Amino acid sequence: MKQVGSAPVQGSEATGSRPAGDADELQDLADMELVYRSLEDALSGLLEWVRSELAVDTAAVLLLDEDRGVLVARAARGLEEEVREGVQVPLARGFAGRVAAQARPIVLDDLKTADVVNPILRQKGIRSMVGVPVHVEGRVIGVMHVGSLVKRAFAEEDIARLQLAADRAAVMIDAARLAEQRSVTEVMQRTLLPDEFPRVPGLRLSAKYLAAGSGIKVGGDWYDVFELPNGRMALVIGDVVGRGVTAAAVMAEARTALRAYLIEGHGLREAISLLNDLLISLGRNRAATVAILELDLELGEIDAVSAGHLPAVLVDGSGSATLWHLPQGPPLGIAYGHRYEGERRRFGADDALLLFTDGLVEVRGEVIDEGLERLRGAAEAAATGEYGSLADRVCWALAGKTAFEDDMALLAVESMPLGPVVEITLEAEPGVLVGLRRTLGRWLADVGAGENDLFDIALATSEAAANAIEHAYGARRATFEVRCERRGEEVRVTVRDEGRWRASRSNGRGRGLAIMQGLMDSVELDHDEHGTTVTLVRHLDAGSA
Amino acid sequence: MSAVPIKRVDGVRVAHPVGDIDAANASQVERELVESLDPDGDCLVLDLHETRYLDSAALDMVFRLNERLRQRRGGLQVVIPDSSPLGRLAAIVGLPKVIPVHASVRDALARCSQDREARRDSEPPPLIGGIGEPDDSRHHCGR
Repeated sequence: MKQVGSAPVQGSEATGSRPAGDADELQDLADMELVYRSLEDALSGLLEWVRSELAVDTAAVLLLDEDRGVLVARAARGLEEEVREGVQVPLARGFAGRVAAQARPIVLDDLKTADVVNPILRQKGIRSMVGVPVHVEGRVIGVMHVGSLVKRAFAEEDIARLQLAADRAAVMIDAARLAEQRSVTEVMQRTLLPDEFPRVPGLRLSAKYLAAGSGIKVGGDWYDVFELPNGRMALVIGDVVGRGVTAAAVMAEARTALRAYLIEGHGLREAISLLNDLLISLGRNRAATVAILELDLELGEIDAVSAGHLPAVLVDGSGSATLWHLPQGPPLGIAYGHRYEGERRRFGADDALLLFTDGLVEVRGEVIDEGLERLRGAAEAAATGEYGSLADRVCWALAGKTAFEDDMALLAVESMPLGPVVEITLEAEPGVLVGLRRTLGRWLADVGAGENDLFDIALATSEAAANAIEHAYGARRATFEVRCERRGEEVRVTVRDEGRWRASRSNGRGRGLAIMQGLMDSVELDHDEHGTTVTLVRHLDAGSA
Repeated sequence: MSAVPIKRVDGVRVAHPVGDIDAANASQVERELVESLDPDGDCLVLDLHETRYLDSAALDMVFRLNERLRQRRGGLQVVIPDSSPLGRLAAIVGLPKVIPVHASVRDALARCSQDREARRDSEPPPLIGGIGEPDDSRHHCGR
């Protein structure tokens, strides 16, 4: 008995300690299957034991489907058709239904005179039955019953042994359910949190995600970072109320819809309002809090909207941290048609920002302000550290002071100065051009270029990059490199790819080359068997700065 | 959600793209502009005062759009404020030689109505009053 009973528990432990990675998703599915199959096997093994111990002809386990108020046959011995035919017994009706509703053992000495819903019991010729409830933490989750083909008076001792077996079944079922929910939730979360962050020069991103404890506590916390079509960065932190698969599913909907709205080009205020209305119209009975920020590294500004989410923590270049109470609208999913307001503020080089969910700051029995103050202190302590990422250091600084009783997500955003030389590797697709121009704009402003210089150099570089992208046409995941350097009054940009030079395909008239030549002091093209390098040089115009 | 807000001023479509037009979105912008054209629309104002960058792909698109309007015996009017660096870019690719460039939307609209007057004077009256020329109705069916 020990042997069969241990299978689902081992399975659930195995799902809890896997390393992350693509192949793991297959493993997750296999684990879930294992959990399912081994539960059936384990219960069948248990029922076989019951059948011989009690010298009965049939033994079955039915599990309660709480949503529908019915008991569903899940495993059986001597009565296999009950499972095969998916027998369902309404709660409080029939034999099993009464056992579940009354949560106590019931003995039927003679079926001929009893109320029995399930026709299979009669067809089998069962004369006498005993049923006991299967419960977990005082809640009935199912029924185990045995039957005899000959009329029989079951003794108290028989009932006690059957209850023992039912308790054993309860442990198996509970463990299997937890493992199942956890696997589903973990797979969803791993799929939904970003695998890697966008790589943008002068922007450092780090994150921490902790799933509290074990089992179905895993919740609907999420964060997201992606580049907007205007070249700015969208930063998202959110928390769906509740835990388990449903919370994770609502999180998935919210995250996906929000990305879609923002990538379509809706502004923050519009996107959050649309998301709120969408969640309400989908009829999800779950509130969620979310904060959405748009970071403009070039202007050194950050814009924020919030639906009932916690404040953010801002850390300035001197390492001093303050709470940023984001403009508050109601949590998502409550007030249909609400128009959310936003707030913009400075966010320059050396500034950092922490976005987080309540698991990072909440400690039972404490008001939230204490947790926020503790985090603010931790952010100051973490600001100057050298090891790990900012998100790591914040968690280290909180270790021992916060129990991490709930799930928590932490997203740390640092704006870094670009320095005198910038080197960027970009994917060869046109979507990168806008981000490249924004990064160049930021760097050129840092090195003291005026407005005209900035426009000309950024656009000429973008043209050279567009050529590199065309050279890579058809190649899979090709990249190219951009290097920018200031030497005295001169800015030198090189754009290097691994393709062969050719004039723009789109117009065949080399308009791109004409633009580069018109905007820069010199344009050099070098191409060899390794690729093409475009070198652009421009003397900064002292008068325009 | 459209990439380019387009409004109608005095019966003329005025498009004012905000931000950047480049190889990533030029074809979408072009599609939206073409779709916005009325069957009898002979004039389109492209107001670039809130446009930050146009790259060569975007400029190709502007030239193509002008060609399309010229086939309808109309034209594209481009607005680039004097303060915008886009003026220098336009000069480099010879845009003002082909497409009228104005400092304000008002100037562009004035030019549209001038062109209309000139066209009305130089052309025979329409066959069916008020509906337009046979050419225009063909465009109508195409939409």
